[in-house]
Amino acid sequence: MGALLEANNLYKTYRMGKVRVPVLRGASITLEAGEVVAVLGKSGSGKSTMMHILGGLDTPDKASSDNAASTVMFEGNELGRMSGAELDRYRARRVGFVFQFYHLLPELTVLENALLPAMAARGRVKYTHERTELRARATELLSSFGLGERLKHRPAELSGGERQRVAIARALINRPDLLLADEPTGNLDEVTGAGILDALLAHRSEAGCTMFIVTHDPKVAQRADRVVHLRDGVVVPEGQPEAV
Amino acid sequence: MYQALLTRRYLTSKVMPLLAAIAVALCTAMVLIVWSVMGGFLAMLLAQGSSIIGDVAIAYPVIGFPHYDELIEELVQRPEIEAATPTIESLGLLAVSSDFGDDLEPRVVQVIGIRPDEFDEVTSFRERLWWRPLGASEDETEDWRRKEENQDAMARILEEGSTLSERDPVTGVAEPAMVIGIEVTRNNYRTPEGIYRPASAFTPQDRYTLSVLPLSRRGVAIQIEDRSLPVANEYRSGMYDADSKWVFLPFDMLQDMLKLSEARRVPADFTPGEIFEGPDGPMIKRPEATETVPARATNILIRAAAGFNARETEAAAEEVYERFAQNHQGYPLGPTWKENIVYVWEEKPGLKQFIAAVRKETGLVLVLFVFISFTAVFLVGAIFWSMVSEKTKDIGILRAVGAGRLGVAWLFVRYGLAIGIVGSLAGGALAWVIVSNINPIHEWLGETLGLYIWDPSIYYFTEIPSRVEPMKALIVLGGGVLFSALGALIPAARAASMNPVKALRFE
Repeated sequence: MGALLEANNLYKTYRMGKVRVPVLRGASITLEAGEVVAVLGKSGSGKSTMMHILGGLDTPDKASSDNAASTVMFEGNELGRMSGAELDRYRARRVGFVFQFYHLLPELTVLENALLPAMAARGRVKYTHERTELRARATELLSSFGLGERLKHRPAELSGGERQRVAIARALINRPDLLLADEPTGNLDEVTGAGILDALLAHRSEAGCTMFIVTHDPKVAQRADRVVHLRDGVVVPEGQPEAV
Repeated sequence: MYQALLTRRYLTSKVMPLLAAIAVALCTAMVLIVWSVMGGFLAMLLAQGSSIIGDVAIAYPVIGFPHYDELIEELVQRPEIEAATPTIESLGLLAVSSDFGDDLEPRVVQVIGIRPDEFDEVTSFRERLWWRPLGASEDETEDWRRKEENQDAMARILEEGSTLSERDPVTGVAEPAMVIGIEVTRNNYRTPEGIYRPASAFTPQDRYTLSVLPLSRRGVAIQIEDRSLPVANEYRSGMYDADSKWVFLPFDMLQDMLKLSEARRVPADFTPGEIFEGPDGPMIKRPEATETVPARATNILIRAAAGFNARETEAAAEEVYERFAQNHQGYPLGPTWKENIVYVWEEKPGLKQFIAAVRKETGLVLVLFVFISFTAVFLVGAIFWSMVSEKTKDIGILRAVGAGRLGVAWLFVRYGLAIGIVGSLAGGALAWVIVSNINPIHEWLGETLGLYIWDPSIYYFTEIPSRVEPMKALIVLGGGVLFSALGALIPAARAASMNPVKALRFE
């Protein structure tokens, strides 16, 4: 397996009023194609921030304290050098996001929510042309998550577990190379969470999808190929206590 | 693609866009109603005016000019001119019967002497005679013209009005009669549907006294002339000014009353007191009327031929008049006067200033209402600003799934356009319903609240213009859509510039 994504020396500081809060302080990580990486760490350790940077939703600070550049390379292309439109395409076609609080659009049905990235990634003409196939794929994905009978339901009519499965279907609709999940089971009970993890991992083999799962849950971490610990904005080297 | 889907869903699932659409609808309706009524009033004035007084007039008030039949003969030779007729206009006093007691009430009127058949060719006079048989109908019992028992009488009254004469039912002898404006006597009650019903007396059965004041060429009053005449019919043009003042009389009769008919006079070079040698010795020369003063008319009304506008007809009439005046040097007018004598109907003294004022007033009112409607931009802007705040998380989600900044901005601009289209169409429909029924609505407001906005004595017409012009509607509706999109622009820019991570964390 070759490296799909390589993030080096990531720094990120947020301003909270007049106070500067450093969140990432030189974190680096490499994701191999097709692997499942679980990221563990305390609240505020920078897990979600790292995920947002890897997904092109956020950018690392330009100048780090040790003067080494913060870079995120995806298949050899640096995200920091991409234009806004290229980053939009990257997020639409290469990356899928799953969030702790599902983040579904309440006005859309289950099927429409799942199709949203497909619409965003294509123009009107192309989407119309591929509409039948895309709807078939969304239906298939949702059916595989046990939501085949709920396609026309609105998110408000679903349970938490069902909403998260819709969010996973949405993340997978464009067959992304990288799936970024932020506490995907964090808002669910143990049984439902396990089911969600099953659903997620069931699709890992699809097109060699790489998964980056931010979690607090050791049970989630146990099912990953590799576990990475973040402490104070830095990835803890393997073998140190937090990595055990 | 997602923009179309979300626009549709946002439109049908939120109260706020409904409020924005209502704001756009009300503004659109307001502007369209104002423009339709004021613009319609002007259009009605322009359209009605020429059909009431002809397209072009040659006028020399009070004194009048002679040889008018010769002038008319020359005028109708021109292809630009369809028909022409002489008229005489003068102020007069009409004593009409009152609903209160036996006293007669005087009315200051505009007396117009016409040749009915010729006048009809120029102005559609016969069409405007109110009392006529309309065919019996049980549904329209309020309208005297539809009552079965009135049909014969109405046919006779129409014929009498068309000829300005009334036949004595016993002797069968016809005598000259007048036609008066339907609002002159104030004895006619107009129903909300626009039907006139005699309040007490039926005017065409009455006989009124008309007085006029003939003036000499120097403008000195000669003596009051009056005639007691029957009313043959009543006239309704829809223009209040005409309907409340005009009295039509046979041309020859008014000519005679105003001393404008052919006459003989003493030559201007006659010297009083001149002595000459008679057969029985010296005698004082007596004044002898040896000259003939031709009959005069104060106006010639002209109707433009099909395919020619009033301006072209005016130019043709000027040419003819110039030649005519050269052939009659010295009396009555020289050719240099033609500029003041030949004019298109809307330049008639008094009317010209009125039309100009209406044009300016229409423009001013329209500009004011467009300014007021501009508040829709801010209203839509405020509503959209609040919607963008409410939809912050959705914006973050859209950015996360790959929607670009422009795409998000377009979502809200498109949403604004959609609200503009829905609001404008609703406003257009509302305006159409109101304008189409504006007269019954006005009547209802007057009857229930005592609120009469449209005063026919000010606005000329007894009815409020009630037609929405498609082109005007298109412009106003387009403006509504544009204003709505403008209002959405700043909130859309705000949505596009949102940091997606902050948007996703927004609570």
